[in-house]
Amino acid sequence: MTSRQTLDPSVAAWLGDSPGPASEDPLTSALDRLYASGPSAGEVERARNRVRKALSGAQPAVVYYDAVGRTRVGPVFVAVSDRGVIAVEFAASEAAFVRSLRARTGATPVRSRQQAGEASRQLREYLNGKRTRFALPLDLRRMSDFQRSVLLAAARIPRGQVTTYAQLARRIGRPGAARAVGQALGHNPIPIILPCHRVLASDGSLGGYTARDGVRTKARLLRLEGAQLLAE
Amino acid sequence: MDTYSGEIFGYLWRLLGGRPDAEDCLQEAFLRALRAYPRTPRLRNPRAWLYRIATNTARSHLARGARHLARTADLDARLASPASSVADAFDHRQRLEAVAAAVEALPPRQRAALLMRKYQELDYPAIAEALDCTQAAARANVYQALKKLRHQLDPVAKTERMA
Repeated sequence: MTSRQTLDPSVAAWLGDSPGPASEDPLTSALDRLYASGPSAGEVERARNRVRKALSGAQPAVVYYDAVGRTRVGPVFVAVSDRGVIAVEFAASEAAFVRSLRARTGATPVRSRQQAGEASRQLREYLNGKRTRFALPLDLRRMSDFQRSVLLAAARIPRGQVTTYAQLARRIGRPGAARAVGQALGHNPIPIILPCHRVLASDGSLGGYTARDGVRTKARLLRLEGAQLLAE
Repeated sequence: MDTYSGEIFGYLWRLLGGRPDAEDCLQEAFLRALRAYPRTPRLRNPRAWLYRIATNTARSHLARGARHLARTADLDARLASPASSVADAFDHRQRLEAVAAAVEALPPRQRAALLMRKYQELDYPAIAEALDCTQAAARANVYQALKKLRHQLDPVAKTERMA
């Protein structure tokens, strides 16, 4: 590598090594002609508007939430957007849930039993063993295509049954992607309703669970559904 | 994120050589950022993080074959020549075309580092974060880019000095 001393002063200025304006250096002036002004104000405005529009279509402005209450897996909260359920969380407190909801969805959380009450009622019934399936619209627009396909495949595992990360990977046509499948499940924004807890490690162990108390919560959900667990 | 969309657009516009698909690329980058955000642990420098996503998006965009599209036509729009005669204007234009082509031929990381440093006014810690490398490596990328350009464009520079 050439030593610093031999650098053209204008190059040194570019690197931030020496103060002073880049001189009449032809390369510098050509680059400035090409890149300094950048896109026109009109182009910038058009691009910014397009992004704003795309982002607002990609996430809701407001999400409504409700507390499901104390359940056999501890306190649970649920949030819905204009399209459907967008988040279920095993949060320690309402404040913690609101914080996480704001960070995850970019939307303003508003507590509303009217909007989120149906979702919280169904979850409460499910967790009390009085309901076996959910009838709720879901808002999946913030997920990547891959995560969506993984979670929708998990949703087709019947209650009381389980599968493995590797089997689920095969089911979505990505046989080598067991690890990525595990990650997509680990970031499931709508646990319980999208039953990522029904997916286990290939050796039959419970694998992981990102929610409070980890695999203990996973085991409780599976027992609630009548799955036979040999070991925890 | 809205705060940075104009700036990141400028970056992508430069990185893609002023091609109109910079706009597509910006939208894709911001949608990627939106999805990645919930999974991203505390962001120290959101600006550098967006540069990183934009750089990666541009790379996959180019890999998909959006390369050599309308660059020459675009140069016309970008450059109103300050030269006085038609012959001067021709020389001037040729020289700029050569420089633009040389910049586009740089390895992607070097081109990105150069543009971030010189035209996006990022400091080396931010460039390092955007390129997922050390500050020394970020610096070396800028340095190598300039060295390569200088080397390739030497005849161009000579013409200029004689003029």
